[in-house]
Amino acid sequence: MEFKYVGKNIARPDAAAKATGRVQFIDDIRLPRMLHAAFLRPEYAHAMIVSIDTSEAEKCEGVVKVVTGKECAFRYGENMKDRLPMAVDRVRWIGEPVAAVIAESAYQAQLAVKKIKVAYEPLPVYIDARDALKKDAVLIHEDAPNFVRLPGMEPVPGTNIANRYTLKKGDVEKGFREAEIVVEGEFNYPFSSCSAIEPHGAIVWFHEDKTIEVWSSSICPFIVREDMASVWGLPVSDVRVHIPELGGCFGYKSDVTIEQTVAWVASFVPGRPVKWVATRQEDLLSTLIGHGIRTMIKIGAKKDGTLTALKTTLLHSTGASMDTGIHVLIASTHNSTGAYEFPNCHLEGLSVYTNTPPVGAYRGYGHQESQFAMERMMDILARKLGMDPFALREKNYLGPGRVTSLGERLWESNGDVRKCAKTVQKIVFDKKKKLSEDDNYYYGRGFAALMKSPKGASFSSKSCYLKFNSDGSVSINMGGAEVGQGLRTVVRQVAAEALKISPERIRVYTEIDTQFSPWEWQTIGSMFTIQGGRAIIRAAEKAIAQMKRTAAQVLRVDEDRLVYDGDSIYLNHDPSVRVAVTKLTRGYTYDDGVTVGDVVHTTADARLPRQSNPDACGQGTMGITYTFGAQACELRIEKATGKIFIDHFVSCFDVGKVINPRQIRGQVTGGVMMAIGSTLHEELKFTPDGKAINPHFSKYRFPTILDAPKKQTIEFVETPEHIGPFGARGIGEHPVIGVAPAILNAVYDAIGVDFCEIPLTKEKVLKALEGKKAR
Amino acid sequence: MGQTVSFTVNGSRKSVEIEGWEKLIDVLRDKLNLTGTKRGCDDASCGACVVVVDGEAMRSCVYLAKKLEGKQVLTIEGMSNGTTLHPIQEALIEAGAVQCGYCIPGIVMALYALLTKNIAATEEDILEELAHHLCRCTGYEAILEGAKLAQKKMAAARG
Ligand code: FES
Ligand code: FES
Repeated sequence: MEFKYVGKNIARPDAAAKATGRVQFIDDIRLPRMLHAAFLRPEYAHAMIVSIDTSEAEKCEGVVKVVTGKECAFRYGENMKDRLPMAVDRVRWIGEPVAAVIAESAYQAQLAVKKIKVAYEPLPVYIDARDALKKDAVLIHEDAPNFVRLPGMEPVPGTNIANRYTLKKGDVEKGFREAEIVVEGEFNYPFSSCSAIEPHGAIVWFHEDKTIEVWSSSICPFIVREDMASVWGLPVSDVRVHIPELGGCFGYKSDVTIEQTVAWVASFVPGRPVKWVATRQEDLLSTLIGHGIRTMIKIGAKKDGTLTALKTTLLHSTGASMDTGIHVLIASTHNSTGAYEFPNCHLEGLSVYTNTPPVGAYRGYGHQESQFAMERMMDILARKLGMDPFALREKNYLGPGRVTSLGERLWESNGDVRKCAKTVQKIVFDKKKKLSEDDNYYYGRGFAALMKSPKGASFSSKSCYLKFNSDGSVSINMGGAEVGQGLRTVVRQVAAEALKISPERIRVYTEIDTQFSPWEWQTIGSMFTIQGGRAIIRAAEKAIAQMKRTAAQVLRVDEDRLVYDGDSIYLNHDPSVRVAVTKLTRGYTYDDGVTVGDVVHTTADARLPRQSNPDACGQGTMGITYTFGAQACELRIEKATGKIFIDHFVSCFDVGKVINPRQIRGQVTGGVMMAIGSTLHEELKFTPDGKAINPHFSKYRFPTILDAPKKQTIEFVETPEHIGPFGARGIGEHPVIGVAPAILNAVYDAIGVDFCEIPLTKEKVLKALEGKKAR
Repeated sequence: MGQTVSFTVNGSRKSVEIEGWEKLIDVLRDKLNLTGTKRGCDDASCGACVVVVDGEAMRSCVYLAKKLEGKQVLTIEGMSNGTTLHPIQEALIEAGAVQCGYCIPGIVMALYALLTKNIAATEEDILEELAHHLCRCTGYEAILEGAKLAQKKMAAARG
């Protein structure tokens, strides 16, 4: 199929507004009579609150109100209502809000907050799930079994286990009996932060008429709205949520994060808007963090490399609430097969309460943690078998007719991992390694294949409102959040293609406002292009059909005799008989003023087709499509320092159809860089008693341009996805998945040491190099 | 404790009452409503807040407002002229360096300072400057490309 606009580098509609600093992020919003909040955070990661003295703070200049959580009676959450807007009588993690000051200015609020005095009675602290699982561990939430939650979530009474997810496919014991070789390992993906450069923030305004208005740096306005309505006892329609421009998301601005905390505070000053924007420290500790997943993995295989069985146990240090982390762990658990078919699986994921900030979505949503384990193990298994690692993978790749851990039989339209792997192999491994060592460096190359499953909910639709204007230009309104990924450009291109008009004739929405925007579940899971794109095409088809209906009256023919070309509708056997689109957008008006037909505006939506809940075996359909890919790197390790230099990073994904080459490259370069950060530098660290060690950018080692790979090669395979817009699949999260194993496999290639933990800092490498020398 | 400082911002003269603790970023964002300058960290390590003071790139989050007396400040709002973008802005857009855009004002201003001082800046100079700017979206490839394109455009404009 030939495309006119899809596949081209159409310009971003929002670039100029961003490059001039004109767009409004949450912190740029100023409302009349707006107040500012500042929060007190605890001195202990786990403690009973004995008393709070707010008297000094109340006397400070500009202070309007000091708020504590004492009277707070509600919990919130989408999956499990285990979240409190503010600590009530106990603190459970170091970033939790303990009290707040509302003042006329942010500075006044910050000064006054320091005057609040709290007496605590410390409790034991658990940073790692393994400690929280110990027999005599204090329960972080004694009443967890009573929390309101979605069906299927079961806290284990008397333990810190918030949920246990088990997936069974085939007969794992039989699979291990059939195995001729078994390999085992343990891998850790530590805590880190999405760390968008724009921190979280929200404004909440309880109006005099009892409605609530919210502005938030969130990607899920409709979830925030429903959660607000349910907590504050209002009809959903009485809550209005605005989403301003977003300065990056990468996962942690999804779900309800900070909004209920700001709402709790604002509820004490109805009639006035209250704003809070996180400091970087608060953004790192008081919103959502990422990962904290440890994977224990055991693989059984035949001597010829045929995989027979997989057992994984994932321990998730999910933080002091599980609500936002539960599905990350479930996804990580069932994706621990990676891109391979295992006939027999027993996969288990334990979400364990810990005294750390709640874990939530992080670009990749569980995929990178367990596939880090799988891809490292593939190399290790190949070595044990004396087999070529590519041949081992090749033998076991998922593909058409093969069945995932969830029991889904794949189609050709789910993409082709083999092609991706071959592309990457050709670029990196077909040539002989130039050098394995010289005076200053060791050289290594590593590979990883990857799979990305979708993640949604039964009702997770995206919708599109499409309006033809009188001059034939088109306005498109949707609920999908532009976070920088380039969603607005995709909307423009898909709509242009579907409506056969130039992109310049299409204006894409900017702000999202639940009062005007069509409903969308949330912009997560790399699903906007595929789902949102479908909704656009459906809305476009409806609009065209509607214009044809009117044109049929005007031209006095049947609708099926008419052709639409973007500018006109004409008779298929005589194109000279035509009516212009501009004459049809508000119905057609005859010379005498009589009008027939309707205004051309349509709505449409797209669900996740076939999405189901997990059955008793933990299996079910994920609803949309899988995506496959492969990544590899060529690196250098400096002998003197242990420092790793990524000379070349290669990625290939089967995205179905590239919508915008420049933008998709930007998604991949950004994702790879982010995951290089995770692999080599980033970790959010806590002391054993739960205090944060590095909650600032100067200490949290965020990658800079000097850490970027010298070169990135990025290729795409285009196996059309049958439900995707013009064959397209998602790409947002995929680039992070194979990076850690590709790098660590390359490190083995360079120095013969198997690392199982990240970040692999230069200190760790140097220690290993010294250990090698000593031997 | 208030004091008044007089300086120019984007060519127009301002007298602003300030407190001793206030930083340039507070003055710009809260007093002058120039919200194009962004805050991304709390310890002067992200570069989002960079503006140009007397020709030099400065982190406005640590620049004390009381030192502003007589200074010339250039912010992102002063870079474009009506609908005409500055070549640096054009270049970053063309290179695909603008994703979420939060880091961009600081980067535009830093490149402006660098390239007006030295239009022949080497790739090392550019990298050294950009190393002070955190970007989570792009992986930096497009930013470097945009910076080099900006250099070309500015050099061409000078003739
Ligand atoms: S705000 Fe980060 S350096 Fe100034
Ligand atoms: S474009 Fe988003 S942080 Fe740079």
